[in-house]
Amino acid sequence: MTATATTAPPEQAAARARRLSLLNVAFELRAFIALAVLIVIFGVLSDSFLTVPNLITMTKHVAINAVIALGMLLVILKGGIDLSVGSIVGLSGVVAGELLGGLHVGGVIAYPPVWVVIVLCVTVGMAVGGVNGLLVTRFNVAPFIATLGMLYVARGAAMLISDGATYPNLGGNPSLGNTGFGLLGSGRPLGLPTSIWIMIVLAAVVVLLLAKSPFGRWLYATGGNERAADLSGVPIRRVKTLVYVISGACAAVAGLIIASELTSAAPQAGETYELNAIAAVVIGGAALSGGRGTVRGTLVGAFVIGFLADGLVILGVSTFWQILIKGAVIILAVMLDQGQQRFKRRGAAAAAVAASKEHH
Amino acid sequence: MPPYRRLLTLALSLVIGSAALTACGGGDQPAASAPAGTAGAAGGLIAIITPSHDNPFFKAEADAAKAKAESLGYQTSVASHDDDPNKQSELIDAAISRQAKAIILDNAGADASIGPVRKAAEGGVPVFLIDREINATGIAKAQIVSNNSQGAQLVAQSFTEAMKTKGNYVELVGKESDTNASVRSKGFADVISQYPDMKAVAKESANWDQQEAFTKMETIIQKSRDIQGVIAGNDTMALGAVAALKAAGLLDKVTVVGFDGSPDAIAAIKAGEMHATALQPAALGATSAVEQADQFIKTGKTGKEEKQSIDCELVTADNADEFGVFARK
Amino acid sequence: MTAPTAGPVLRACEVTKVYGGTHALKGVDFPVTPGRVTALFGENGAGKSTLMKILAGIEQPTTGHVELDGRPVRLQSSRHAADQGIAIIHQELSLCPNLSVQDNLFLAREVRTGFGAVDRKAQRRATQAVLDRLEEHADPDGLVGDLRLGQQQVVEIARALLQEARVLIMDEPTSALTAPEVEVLFRVIRELTAAGVAVVYISHHLDEALDIADDVVVLRDGLLVATARAGEVDIRWIVEQMVGRDQDTLFPDREPVLGEEALTVRDLTVADPAVPDRLAVDGLSLTVRAGEIVGVYGLMGAGRTELLEALAGRLRPVSGRVLLAGTPLDGPGIRERIERGVVLVPEDRQRDGLVQTMSVGQNLSLAALGTFVRGLFVSQPREHAAVARAITDVTVKTSGATAAIGSLSGGNQQKVVIGKALLTGPRVLLLDEPSRGVDVGAKADIFELMAAQARHGLAVLFTTSDAEEALHIPDRLLVLARGALVGEFRRGELTREELMRVSDGGIQAGFPAGHQDGAG
Repeated sequence: MTATATTAPPEQAAARARRLSLLNVAFELRAFIALAVLIVIFGVLSDSFLTVPNLITMTKHVAINAVIALGMLLVILKGGIDLSVGSIVGLSGVVAGELLGGLHVGGVIAYPPVWVVIVLCVTVGMAVGGVNGLLVTRFNVAPFIATLGMLYVARGAAMLISDGATYPNLGGNPSLGNTGFGLLGSGRPLGLPTSIWIMIVLAAVVVLLLAKSPFGRWLYATGGNERAADLSGVPIRRVKTLVYVISGACAAVAGLIIASELTSAAPQAGETYELNAIAAVVIGGAALSGGRGTVRGTLVGAFVIGFLADGLVILGVSTFWQILIKGAVIILAVMLDQGQQRFKRRGAAAAAVAASKEHH
Repeated sequence: MPPYRRLLTLALSLVIGSAALTACGGGDQPAASAPAGTAGAAGGLIAIITPSHDNPFFKAEADAAKAKAESLGYQTSVASHDDDPNKQSELIDAAISRQAKAIILDNAGADASIGPVRKAAEGGVPVFLIDREINATGIAKAQIVSNNSQGAQLVAQSFTEAMKTKGNYVELVGKESDTNASVRSKGFADVISQYPDMKAVAKESANWDQQEAFTKMETIIQKSRDIQGVIAGNDTMALGAVAALKAAGLLDKVTVVGFDGSPDAIAAIKAGEMHATALQPAALGATSAVEQADQFIKTGKTGKEEKQSIDCELVTADNADEFGVFARK
Repeated sequence: MTAPTAGPVLRACEVTKVYGGTHALKGVDFPVTPGRVTALFGENGAGKSTLMKILAGIEQPTTGHVELDGRPVRLQSSRHAADQGIAIIHQELSLCPNLSVQDNLFLAREVRTGFGAVDRKAQRRATQAVLDRLEEHADPDGLVGDLRLGQQQVVEIARALLQEARVLIMDEPTSALTAPEVEVLFRVIRELTAAGVAVVYISHHLDEALDIADDVVVLRDGLLVATARAGEVDIRWIVEQMVGRDQDTLFPDREPVLGEEALTVRDLTVADPAVPDRLAVDGLSLTVRAGEIVGVYGLMGAGRTELLEALAGRLRPVSGRVLLAGTPLDGPGIRERIERGVVLVPEDRQRDGLVQTMSVGQNLSLAALGTFVRGLFVSQPREHAAVARAITDVTVKTSGATAAIGSLSGGNQQKVVIGKALLTGPRVLLLDEPSRGVDVGAKADIFELMAAQARHGLAVLFTTSDAEEALHIPDRLLVLARGALVGEFRRGELTREELMRVSDGGIQAGFPAGHQDGAG
């Protein structure tokens, strides 16, 4: 192969470079292509798949994972990982359940209004994320270990608070002024479920954060090359801590949505959700080594996972196959990503050779 | 190094401490507890080992066994093996070395538990199994299980009657690797298959999980709203289906039944959201096991056969008030 | 095989190598003759190391091929090359510091007993023998991490010798060696060539390389520009071939206009971040005035990088004071120091200078991002204007601010790192080996850039391990050895030979006796 390349005339080298760059574009869009393929396949196989109500329902299911995945994206952009989000989902729901059931303050039972409950739950999620960040930045615990530990700590805390029991009937009581929690899960402002709106708003905020704010740039730099970012004066510790805090907040929001949809909160809620979120981010083309990844990709990744799961249910495929197919899709996505990286390098080399041949 | 480590310890204890504080007094620690004042003459330790207490069923079972044993003058140690056969084996080792008089065990696997139970028997500690069987006889002194098949048939019968023996229904199956899931599903089928007008439009596993049942039910509704019934392998999944049906505005047209008789399900039955559930008398099995253990400790005999099954009870709106936490009031 | 005039045992044919958008090699023909030492000369970034990596199977050529014994061969890995009898001593040490000397020497080629276990006795014997040959007294079972740098380099050489290769490539084998150690090495090289081994030798120390060489080959900007018999050429000729132009155009004359003292360092002591009980910088004092270019020359391990990193706030000094225009700069971290006007252009731009996943523009604006913020967000027009200005100012050759950083050549990447530092509006510019891995043209640009900044009143402090640069660029040259200042000279006060003597002498004179005992 090397021998032919040596003797290749310039136009051939240029054509090769063009071909490689075209393939590269196809790779860039691979998540979109995967999603399109899924939609076409399921649309052909089932009449009820491509209907507006079904698309809305599926998007609603996607929203929970997408909200967690957006937080996870930030952590992964930093080159970290957050395994504690699933437990934060459970903890957040339990805290909501505890608060809506009334706070015992010195013999009196206080019923905080729903907005206070929501703020407190998100604060709890941020606090767990803050501990993650502290462990990673101040105590130099590897992110995998720190968040693995917090996975257990947060789950244990949820169990302790709830005593292992589920909180039923979170609908609230009009006489206590704490109704409205159910709206988070079942409300439909402007015809779309609240959770979809939450996903859209959160995605927009993260896009702004990444594209426009200095924090976003610092995050990409820290994930791309922490040493270089540090030497450029980027406050890497602050950046690293903040991503875990945001990730914790996102997970807490997801926990609230779930508790609200079911109007009950179980301490076991959200088990293994961290893995779905990581899968969405990875399918969306983010590099686990950090510095590479987009909101768009992550959303598409979440849609691929969600549509795949719901589509297989609609087709009535067995659960065991559902699990297997999901795993295969994740692996395929990452393999394509590796392929893209290799093509990118080869494409650049081919372009450079072509350029130099023109000079001769 | 030392100041660093001290800081870490401090931080961790703060985290754990604050979690414990927010626990509002928390529950009982699943570690050994020797209640003061009950160290009666009969005495001796009874070890109670069950799956994780985050499931109220197992908690009810353990609580009932503990209460009964203490009322009979025993010390108790309550622990959870979290469905981990290895942890179960360690807990049994601990019971043997503490020279427990008996072990009340809801085991962590029909095959994986045979060895540890035999170990206990050879170590001179009689084992009384509750809720789940093991695939061996002659090792445990008793195996007291609720009759899953009978319960499933009971609830399925009520289900078909409520649906007037016709219509489309959805079945939500438990974790497919769990024997109880298939036993219950078969029990459902034994009854429903007698009625040709009953049509299963979907059969999905929701892994015993509420959120998963909710999501799957929503998706199934998208496929077709022409559904008259949902039969679920446990109450948690039934409640997930209820939430999805409620959100879709279908609940008043759909009959939902579950299994287990959890307090949440009984509340839903009272509220008219669920039609029925089969209550597993967890407390009954547990207290019965402790009574037999007491008998065995005192006389060397249980006076009963090894394999005993306890029938489930059907809970509907008619009799829901009669039931408490996995037991008749 | 024994005849010195036999055909080449190994040959690179029309070899081209492209990294990202950079041409490291442009069609090089390079023969390696048995029984002879071929010295390869070239500036930083001329392509020497790349060529050697291709011959040793570590890298694959983009185009062209390698011939072994006259037949084309595809060397898939260094292991594969080693099996063909090609061994390499790396410029960067490739030892595992957590393993013993013998474990390192036999890594991945362990001697096995009949049962498949590692035969440590046989390994130890062989290790002792090869260390004796190199007159090195390190313990075969001691940890490599406990050895001093020079000893580690000897271990690296020993590992290559153990392979009993037909071709031995030495890429900067002496950068951390003392003069006696170099003599031992040369004796061993002569023994090897007498036995018919082909040796390729690369060194910064031109006189040393010319001393051992039989043949001379010069690379410049990825092209092979000259070959000669060692006896027929002198250092002057080699330098001319390497630089490819009159030195005066590379090193422009300048008349510094000195201002106030901008940077003052008093008794600065910095621990070695890798070896905490060793001092990398030992009680060093210096000053840099506004408008002045001060150079710091020193060999590998002299403490150059640690000095600059301590000034930039990355390393925390053990003791000593740093003053910026008379006010203390103690305490604050990198970010605060950048805000106050002290910024570092690091030595290793891939590791410390650039974020490879970001574009040229994003890299340029990274350090000064805070100054473009309006409200919550980065103002795009402001950022774009600044980036465009920087690209022109530091003369980066790029297709645009959105180009991938990897598409630039080494020199242009280095200019981006410098541009990034300049965008912060510094008063003191610290540059660690700014000409490392940069082609001649970019090198001249970078020196010109430094001079221009000095004319604008910046205080410039840079380090170099290149004697020519050290002699010609700075207004004032500080010679560093073992973390201490061993000489200070104005431009033109010093010859190349004197510089070598001062810096080498420094190694021996400044070497703490206690440490040597502990390491041996």
